[in-house]
Amino acid sequence: MAKKKRPMLKIFIIFFVVEALLVVLSGNFSKQIQIGFDKGKFVIRNIEYEYNLQDKITEEFQIDEYFRQTGETPEIYGSEKLYEFFKKVFGEKSAIGSFQLLRMLLIVDLLLLFIALSIRKKLFGRPSKPQILFEMIYTSLEQFVSETLGKDKVHYTPYIVTLFIFIWVSNLIGLIPIPGFMEPTRNLNVPLGLGVFVVAIVHITAIKVKGLWGHLKNYINPVKNPLFLLDIVGEMSKVVSISFRLFGNVLGGAIIILVVSSLVNFVVFPIGLSMFFGIFVGTIQAFVFTMLALTYIGVEITE
Amino acid sequence: MSFSIEVIQIAAYLGAGISVGIGAITTGIGSGLIAGEGALGVMKQPKSSDQLFRTMLIGQAAAQTAGIFSLVVAMLLIYGRSDTAEGGWFKASAYLAAGIAMGLGSLGPSLGAGYSGGQACKSVARMPKHGNAILGNMLIGQALAQTSAIFALVVAFLLLYSVPDQPAGISVGRIILKTMAFLGAGFSIGFGTLGPGTGIGYVAGKANDMMGRFPNEKSKIMRTMFLGAAVSESTAIYSLVIAFLLIFAL
Amino acid sequence: MDLAQGIVKAAALLGAGLCMGMGALGPGVGEGFVAGKACEGIARSPENASLITRTMLVGQAVSESTGIYSLVISLLLIFST
Repeated sequence: MAKKKRPMLKIFIIFFVVEALLVVLSGNFSKQIQIGFDKGKFVIRNIEYEYNLQDKITEEFQIDEYFRQTGETPEIYGSEKLYEFFKKVFGEKSAIGSFQLLRMLLIVDLLLLFIALSIRKKLFGRPSKPQILFEMIYTSLEQFVSETLGKDKVHYTPYIVTLFIFIWVSNLIGLIPIPGFMEPTRNLNVPLGLGVFVVAIVHITAIKVKGLWGHLKNYINPVKNPLFLLDIVGEMSKVVSISFRLFGNVLGGAIIILVVSSLVNFVVFPIGLSMFFGIFVGTIQAFVFTMLALTYIGVEITE
Repeated sequence: MSFSIEVIQIAAYLGAGISVGIGAITTGIGSGLIAGEGALGVMKQPKSSDQLFRTMLIGQAAAQTAGIFSLVVAMLLIYGRSDTAEGGWFKASAYLAAGIAMGLGSLGPSLGAGYSGGQACKSVARMPKHGNAILGNMLIGQALAQTSAIFALVVAFLLLYSVPDQPAGISVGRIILKTMAFLGAGFSIGFGTLGPGTGIGYVAGKANDMMGRFPNEKSKIMRTMFLGAAVSESTAIYSLVIAFLLIFAL
Repeated sequence: MDLAQGIVKAAALLGAGLCMGMGALGPGVGEGFVAGKACEGIARSPENASLITRTMLVGQAVSESTGIYSLVISLLLIFST
């Protein structure tokens, strides 16, 4: 019997090794490990990272609040001039949070632009591996779109694919263990913005298809539907559920990774856990977000 | 209100007991469901007993994830807390609420993951040839069911580590308010994950079952499973939002 | 804040938590049941996949309405008492 090929296992091992190398090279979890006795207890710990977990959680997830409480100037990992500009625009107290977020969004956008341009440069001829990957994503999502919305509504595909690739890359970028790198989707503003736009597009599409009155008839009809006010709340709760689903999963992964690395005193970085949340949960949530957006549109269109 | 440090200890130990005690109920039931279907499967297909055994063991291990979460929270409550008198009633109620959140929160997901694994074992016994696809689908379904347990874990961690010490000179009414808010957050996410966890488990179980009957429709079944599980999760997300509001917004 | 006011607000907050928690229980199970049956239906008649998916989503949206009522009541309890 020929040896069975296991492509997933290979990819997994490659990812694992690359991430481990990145952890070592970036110096994020570095050298100063102390092994010995402290107050009669045997301890192994990383001296560089001696802090209270409570402060660290506040610093990681509510950076503005941390800044307000302690008044410490946090490391900004970026251009000083840009930060000064942010201070002028957003005010001193909430500059750092928005600076962090917009920096990561800019990185994601530039990365996507770079990938797109580098694929476009050699579009014809023998396809490269990234090109195959993105074409696969595009064609499979196009198939979903044509199944859900019908063959004549395929022009929604670019929006759906953009949504998927943006969320996917945003979730994956947290895997890179460089200090200051975080998923943009960890900040509630990003998923909330995406969710508001999804629901807005759903209603615009519905109005386009059924006309303004035909769409409003579903909501304002006290005879047929006495609880119509709650339907409006239900529409708003669509925004809440679609955006908090993404936000909660990404934030949950980040908090769990932080608490687990603090449980092992920051001696090792939990690579397996970070890969589970980055690759597995990140991909699934990006897929779920786009599929929900697609089917919300589909429910309004085909009736 | 007079306060002694023992109150924090009492709350933490009580929380630890609730966390593991309640969380272990359905972890046991779920693992049992998987093992039962596995044993039945071995009776039906003695030839592929190795594969069935593997599916059963992996499924049981994955179904116990939520139980392990509650064990971790209990360990943190026993060994990883800070016993200072400055913590006050805030810390005491937050520790109790963390235990409640994780204990109740792992009830639903473990039951769901157990049902999903049981159906997967049944499917493998029916179609041993497609065993690997079913195993993969089972793991994905169990991971989806445990998303709500992860929400409960996040709330428990936040209650453990991001609740501030009780400020000095605060009024009694304010203390009662905050205390009850933390307890409410624990109850909200604890009960709130029960339904969605079970429901997603049912979705994943049905998907596994159908994958054993109609293996050619694999991609369509998986897509419906993702979508259905994601929508069933929305009430767990509302509970998460309410828990966040109760912890941070007041 | 005096004691009576504090106790009233505290009861409202605990009620909000219990309301959302218990209120999420039923819809969760119900929506899961819908989606499970939809999986079964799609496996049995894959040619009707988009119709079944749409029915599933509409059914889930209706079953979720009690969850949304709980959400509204909890938000009212948190912010308006």
